[in-house]
Amino acid sequence: MSELMTARSLTTRPVVTLGGDAVAHVKDTVCDAAASRITGFTLTGRGLLSGPMKEGLPWSAVHALGHDAVMIRDRRGLVAAAAMMVHQQTLRARMLGARMVTETGTEIGTVLDVVVAGGTGGWVVGFRVAASRGFLPGPTRHRRRVYVPRGDKLLVAGRAFVLPGDAVRHVADDLPGFTSLVGGVPGYWKGSLP
Amino acid sequence: MLFTEVRGLPVVSPAEAGPLGTVTSLTVDIASRAVSHVRLRGSRLRRETVLPWDAVHAVGPGAVRVRSTAAPDTLPPRHDLLGRRVLTEAGAEHGTVLDVAFDPEAGRLLAVFTTRGEVSADRLLGLGDHALVVRAG
Repeated sequence: MSELMTARSLTTRPVVTLGGDAVAHVKDTVCDAAASRITGFTLTGRGLLSGPMKEGLPWSAVHALGHDAVMIRDRRGLVAAAAMMVHQQTLRARMLGARMVTETGTEIGTVLDVVVAGGTGGWVVGFRVAASRGFLPGPTRHRRRVYVPRGDKLLVAGRAFVLPGDAVRHVADDLPGFTSLVGGVPGYWKGSLP
Repeated sequence: MLFTEVRGLPVVSPAEAGPLGTVTSLTVDIASRAVSHVRLRGSRLRRETVLPWDAVHAVGPGAVRVRSTAAPDTLPPRHDLLGRRVLTEAGAEHGTVLDVAFDPEAGRLLAVFTTRGEVSADRLLGLGDHALVVRAG
């Protein structure tokens, strides 16, 4: 089973060629408009003072997304970041902070992070959500953080994610729990999560 | 033979009376999975010199005997295998390199011993400034 990881944890993960050279660090993750797959990464240079790189890493050039590094075939896979971002936006710009509601209009919460599957698929399998009080009553001081599976019926409407009501019947409190949860839920990612 | 056994051995040449220096490291060519160069140092303050593996006549016991002392035309990148981080092809860390076994006759690599187990030489994919990449097995 490929490992699940949150997209924010990918930031600063090194980008390493199969030849063993580190070429950059991940700055942010880029997803497609339907929030179903990773389409690439924006990069930062390797040095202490190096800023964002003009090159981006499209998902097609990624060999595998692993726990300790993003493996790419070689340096030539990098493309101009501006070209990669034509129809897409980074996670930080578009998804984080988005509202998540059910089809019937029940507020679920706000998206804090996106959970992706490692390996070669790059599927988005769920979201880390700060649950609204109506969805999950929690302590008075702060809202509960839960992991919500993406399902295959997610609708993206502007800055709001709309999920069918039955998709949020089961949520998980932590990433290991979420891993077993999506492992048991039939969905389009089944192929990439054996 | 092991890389750590070769490190520190004196390098002797038939043309010169005293030893040229001691071996500091062996440089490997991952594509051919063999030792490509020997790095040696005359004394602690002298610069490192590089000899191609073809110039080596015999390794051990007690010394590395070389035929010639001609430096190679192109200097290999200085990527020492010992102590290097190991990454699998899938991007997961697999410890660091403790030692490397090689055939002293041909210079062929046999196995890499990491802090998390042995990796046979046919699983090596690449060696760069960040890590040694191995095929998942």
